[in-house]
Amino acid sequence: MKMRTALLGAAALVAFAPAAFAERGADGHVNVLYWQAPSTLNAYLSSGTKDVEVGSLVLEGLAGFNEKGEVIPRLVESIPTVENGGVSADLKQITWKLKPGLLWSDGTAVTSKDAKFTYEYCTHPDGGCAQAARYEGIASIETPDDLTVVINFTDPKPNPYTAFVGATSPILQAAQFANCLGAAASTCTEQNFKPIGTGPFKVVDFKVNDVVQLEANPNYRDPAKPAFATMTVKGGGDAQAAARAVMETGEFDYAWNTQINPEQQEQMAAGGKGVFLNGYGTLVERVEMNLTDPSPDLAEGERSTTKHPHPFLTDIRVRKALSMAIDRQTLVDIGYGKAGRATCNLVPAPELYASANTDCIAQDIEGAKALLDEAGWKDTDGDGIRDKDGKKLHILYQTSVNPVRQDFQAVIKSWWESIGVEVELKQVDASVFFGGDAGSPDTFQKFYADVEMYANNFDGTDPEPYLAQYLCDKIPGPDNQWQGENINRFCDPAYDALVKELSVTADMAKRGEIAKKLNEMLTKDSYVVVPLVDRGRLSAASNTLGGAVLNTWDSELWNASDWYRIK
Amino acid sequence: MLDASRQPEPLVRVEGLKMHFPIYTGLFRSHTGDVKAVDGVSFDILPGETLGLVGESGCGKSTVGRALLRLYEPTAGRVIIDGEDVAHLSAEKLRQKRPTMQMVFQDPQASLNPRMTLAGIIGEPLDEHTSMSRAEKTQRIYELMDQVGLNRRFANRYPHEFSGGQRQRIGIARALALNPKFIVCDEPIAALDVSIQAQVVNLLEDLQERLGLTYLFISHDLSMVRHLADRVAVMYLGRIAELSPSKDLYSRPLHPYAEALLSAVNEPDPELAARRNRIILKGDVPSPANPPQGCNFCTRCPRVFDLCRQVKPDLQEVEPGRFVACHLFSDKTTAGTTGVPEARIEHNQQGASK
Amino acid sequence: MLTYVLRRLFIAIPTLLLISVVIFFLVDLAPGSPASEIPLTVPPEVRAKILESLGVNAPFHVRYLLWLKQFFWVEPMYAIDYLFGTDYAQGAQRIISYSSRSPVFNIIIERLPQTLTVIGTAYAVAILIALPIGIYSAYRQYSWVDQLGTFVSMVGYSVPTFFTGVVLIVIFAVKLQWFPSIYDTTLRITDWGSLWKQIHQMILPVAVLGLYNAAEISRYTRSSMLENLSQDYVRTARAKGMSERVVVLKHVARNSMIPVVTIIALGLPGVFGGAIVTEQVFKINGIGAALIGAIHANDLPMVQTITFITAILIVTFNLIADILYGVLDPRIRYD
Repeated sequence: MKMRTALLGAAALVAFAPAAFAERGADGHVNVLYWQAPSTLNAYLSSGTKDVEVGSLVLEGLAGFNEKGEVIPRLVESIPTVENGGVSADLKQITWKLKPGLLWSDGTAVTSKDAKFTYEYCTHPDGGCAQAARYEGIASIETPDDLTVVINFTDPKPNPYTAFVGATSPILQAAQFANCLGAAASTCTEQNFKPIGTGPFKVVDFKVNDVVQLEANPNYRDPAKPAFATMTVKGGGDAQAAARAVMETGEFDYAWNTQINPEQQEQMAAGGKGVFLNGYGTLVERVEMNLTDPSPDLAEGERSTTKHPHPFLTDIRVRKALSMAIDRQTLVDIGYGKAGRATCNLVPAPELYASANTDCIAQDIEGAKALLDEAGWKDTDGDGIRDKDGKKLHILYQTSVNPVRQDFQAVIKSWWESIGVEVELKQVDASVFFGGDAGSPDTFQKFYADVEMYANNFDGTDPEPYLAQYLCDKIPGPDNQWQGENINRFCDPAYDALVKELSVTADMAKRGEIAKKLNEMLTKDSYVVVPLVDRGRLSAASNTLGGAVLNTWDSELWNASDWYRIK
Repeated sequence: MLDASRQPEPLVRVEGLKMHFPIYTGLFRSHTGDVKAVDGVSFDILPGETLGLVGESGCGKSTVGRALLRLYEPTAGRVIIDGEDVAHLSAEKLRQKRPTMQMVFQDPQASLNPRMTLAGIIGEPLDEHTSMSRAEKTQRIYELMDQVGLNRRFANRYPHEFSGGQRQRIGIARALALNPKFIVCDEPIAALDVSIQAQVVNLLEDLQERLGLTYLFISHDLSMVRHLADRVAVMYLGRIAELSPSKDLYSRPLHPYAEALLSAVNEPDPELAARRNRIILKGDVPSPANPPQGCNFCTRCPRVFDLCRQVKPDLQEVEPGRFVACHLFSDKTTAGTTGVPEARIEHNQQGASK
Repeated sequence: MLTYVLRRLFIAIPTLLLISVVIFFLVDLAPGSPASEIPLTVPPEVRAKILESLGVNAPFHVRYLLWLKQFFWVEPMYAIDYLFGTDYAQGAQRIISYSSRSPVFNIIIERLPQTLTVIGTAYAVAILIALPIGIYSAYRQYSWVDQLGTFVSMVGYSVPTFFTGVVLIVIFAVKLQWFPSIYDTTLRITDWGSLWKQIHQMILPVAVLGLYNAAEISRYTRSSMLENLSQDYVRTARAKGMSERVVVLKHVARNSMIPVVTIIALGLPGVFGGAIVTEQVFKINGIGAALIGAIHANDLPMVQTITFITAILIVTFNLIADILYGVLDPRIRYD
C-alpha cells in the first residue's frame, strides 16, 4: 500500500514537474551526446545533421516543423497561408510577420534585415552554401518594415515553406556575419563557432568535433524557458558507446542517433536508466534497378548510359520478381529492430504524401519464380541459374561498406539465388561510393552494376524536389560529369508531366494525390525503385529527462527549450 | 701435507671446493642436472707466493678464481683467506672482507664500467670502504695511477679512450686501491698484444715485490706461468691433475695430462726442443655436465688402464712438494693427501646416468 | 657535437620535404572525396559549389604548393602574431579544414591539451611502472616476479587496446560505475575536487595505454639489464665490495638505460600523435581522434597537417635519441 502511494506521489510529481519548475535555468545542467561531434554551428557551411541540429539550439528559422511535420511558428506571429492572406493567391509571394520585441542573445533587436541578409549570405555565388536549395526559386526579398519579410518567387511556389523554415534554414545575425559573405565565409571561424542566435541557448565554448558548451539565452522570447541553465553537447565514440552512456551508465541525458543492432537495443534497454525514442521520417533503404547496361564490355563513357538499355532489367517482370523474393520484415529484424519498418514506398511520410501501397510486404518466392518463367527466363542447363537465349540471369549487386548493408546483401542474395538468379556482391567504401568523383568507377551515380542499395530521404516535409529527381533530364552521364540524381536512368514522359503538374498545384489534398501517384509509378507500377526499410531515428533519453520528443522533420533538438529535469 | 713447522701458515687455503651450475630444461624449467665446472679442488697458497693455475679453456680454472672470491656461490667446500672462510661469510661480512682479496680480469675492456671515468672506477671502492676526504681520495687515486704507470692527466677519461694495456693497468690500479693481500689474476694478459703482455707481467711482479702480494695467476699461457709462478696447478675437467713446484713440473711433469699439456710449450732451448716428443691427445674433452665415471682423464689418457675407468684418483703427494692425482702413482705414495677423500665415486656418478 | 646536430638538421630538410610530398600524394590518391560527407539531399549544383569553395578541384601541384606555403610561411606568421600581438599575417589564407572550415592549427591546439595530459600521463606512468619491473625481472630472472612480469607484458602487448578499453569500460564504468566511460574535455582544474575528477576520468584510459606502453618498455629494460648483468664490469663492481643495490642500480641499470632511453625518446612523437584507438574508445577527442575523424571525412588539409607534424616530430625525436645516446654513452662521439 505504502509502495503504491509512493509511486502515485512520484507520478504526480512527474506530471506537475514542468509547471512546478517553470523558471529559466532552474533545472541546472543537461548533458547531450552527439557521437558524431559537431564541426561547426553554422548550418550554411555544413549539411551534416550533427552540425545542423546542434546549431539549432542557437540559430532558428522563422518557423519550424513539429513531430507531425506541421509548420509551427518560431520567430513569427503565425504561419502565413493562402487562407490567412500570408501567401498570395498566385503562390508567388509569402509574407512573414516577426513577433515584436524579439532580441538576439546579445541583446540587439531581431529585424527583417537579418532575414534578408541571411538570404544574401546563402545565395552568394562564392560562398558554397550548403543549404542553397532552401533559397531556390526566390526572385527577391523585401523588407518594408523591421518586422515584415516578403519573399517573391520567380514561379508559383506551392510549398513556400523552404526559406527560413526549419533547422536547415536559420536566420543569421546580419551584424555578426556582415564580413563573412562569399569566399570569406570559411574564414569567419569565430562567427561559425559562436553564432549569435535567438534559440533557447547561446554558445559559451565550442571545440571542433569535440564539445559545445552552452548556457540559457538570457534574451530568449519565453522568459520561463529553457529550464536548463547550461548544456553540454559532447561528441566522440560510436553509436553503441553513446547508447551505453545514456541507457547503462547514465552519464548523459540524451544521445543522438543511437542506431545499434536489435540485439544490442534490447541489452541496453535492460540497463533501465533510459528509454529509446524512435520516430519515422523519410529515410528509405532501397534497391535501385539500373535500366541501362553496365556491362564492362561497353566503351568507357557508354557504360550505364541511356545509349544501351539493360539486357533484362528493362523487363518489368524481372524487376518485380526480384522485389517479390524479398522478405522486408526479416530485413528489419536483422538490421534495425525498433528503428525500422518494412515499406513499399519511396515516400513513406508525411501521411499526406504516403501511399497505402503494401503489396510488396509479403514475400512470394513461388510467384517470383512463375514471373521469371513467364518472362522466358528458365533454367535450361540445370545449373540452378535461369538463362534465356544463352545468357545467364546474372546480377552485380553493389552497396557501400556498412555492416547492416552487408547483412542485407547476404540475405537478399540467398533469396534471389533461390529463384534462380545468380548474384555477385560488391562493396565500395562509403567515401568513394557517395564521393561523387567523376573519375571513379565506383560511385553510386555511375552505377556500374545491375542493382545497388543505399538510403536516401528528402529535406523537410515536401517531397516535390525528391520526386523530381526521377525526371528524364536528370539522368547522370558523361555529359554532366555523372552528377544527375536520376540514378536508375528512369525516363517516362508521363512521369515528367505529372511532376510538372505537381509543381503548379497548390491544393494540399491534390498535391498529396499526385505525389502518391508519382511514388507508385516508381515503385509498385514499375519496380524501378524497390524500397526495403523505412529507417527511423533512434535516440536515447534518460529517465530523468522530461520533454524530449523525437522529431524527424526538424532538428532532433527542436524543442530543447521545453526540456526539463524529472525529479 | 704441508708441514706447519717448515712452512709459514698459508694465506689461502681451499678445501674441497665445488662449483656446480644447475641445468634447467623443459617447459617448467625442472632441474635436470649440473655442469660440474669445479668438482673438488683443494690447494694452499702461501703469503707472497704466486700459484699458477693452468689448463685448457673450459677446464674450470676461471671458475675456481671467481668462486674463490665468491663472485660465484660455491656449491661446497671451504675457502679460507686470511683466517676467514669466505665461502660461508654473510653478505655484509663478505663485503667488508672484499678489500683483502681482489681480482684482475681477463678482458680489461669489458671489466671496466664504460660510463665511469678512470677516477670513478679507481675511487669507487674508496667511497665504499674508507672514510677518506675528497682530497685524500684524489691523492690515493693519483698514487695508484703512479704505481701502475698511468699518467695523472688521464684521471677524467673514460675506459674506451685507452689502449688495451692501459686498461689493464687501470684494472690493476683498481684492484690495488684497498691494499689487498691476495689478488686473483684471471688471465690478465690473454687479451693483450704480445708486446704489452710482458709489460703487464713485469708490473705484476714488481707490485708483488713492493707490496708483498699473493697471487693466484690463472692462465693458459704456460710459458708465462713458468716465468711467474712459484708453484703450478694443472687442471683438467674441474679437478687438479698435478700440483708441483714450477721448476719440477716444467722439467719433469708427472701426470700424463700435464705431460701432454707441457709438450706443447715452446722450448727456448733448441736442443731440448729437438729431443722432446709432442704428445697429441686424441678425442675431445668430455662435457663437465657428464664427466666419465673414473678418472676424468681416462677417456684420453695414453696410459689408461682398467682401474682408471672405475675409481677417481685422489690428489696425493708422490714426491716431496709434488701432488698428483693419478693411479700410476698411487702405489708409490704413502704421504697424505690434500685432495678431498669424500668427494669420490658417489658424486660423480650422478651425471653419468643422465 | 654542434656540427653534427646542424648537419643532421640540414639533412632533415629534404627528408621532410620528400615526406610531405609523399603524404600529400598518398592522401590525395586515397579513394574517397570530401563530397561523401554531404548528404544526398543536397542537390548536385549546390554540391559542386561547396566543393569549388573548398578548393578541392585545383590541380595537385597547386594545392601542394599552397599547402606548403601555408604550413611554412603563413601559419608561423600567425603564430608570431598571436604570441607578440603583431600583424604580419595580414589575413592571409590559413590551412582550413574541409569539414569544419576552421584553421587546422586551431583545432590541433584545441586538442593538444587532452592528448598531452592523457597520453602523456599514460606514457609517464608506463615508464614508472616498466623500469622497476624490467630491472627487477632481469635481476631475479625466472623468479615469480619475472614470470608474472613476462605474462603481464605479453598480455599488455598482444591484447589490442580497443579490447582492453572496452572490457574496462564494461566492468568499471557500466557494471561497477566507478569511473566515467566518457572523458570530459571541458573540465577545468580549479580546486582539489576538480583535480580529483580529472584524475578519476583519466584512470581508465591511462590504465589501458599505460599497460600497453609499459609492456614494451619493461621488455626492453629487462633484456638490456640481462645483457649488462652478465658483463665483466658487474663482476668487477661486486669484487670491489659494492653492495648489491649499488651494483644493480648504479652500474647495471645506468648502462642498461642507454637503449631504453632511446626507445622512450622514439616513442614520444606518439604522445603528440595521440592514441587513435584509445581516444576513440574513451571519447577523449584528442589529436588521434581528430586524425581518424579527418580520414573518415576525407578532410585532406587536416590529415596532411597532422601526419606531417607527426613526421617532423619523429625526425626530431630520432635526432634527440641519437644525441641522448651520445650524452649517455661516453663511447659514442659525434664529430
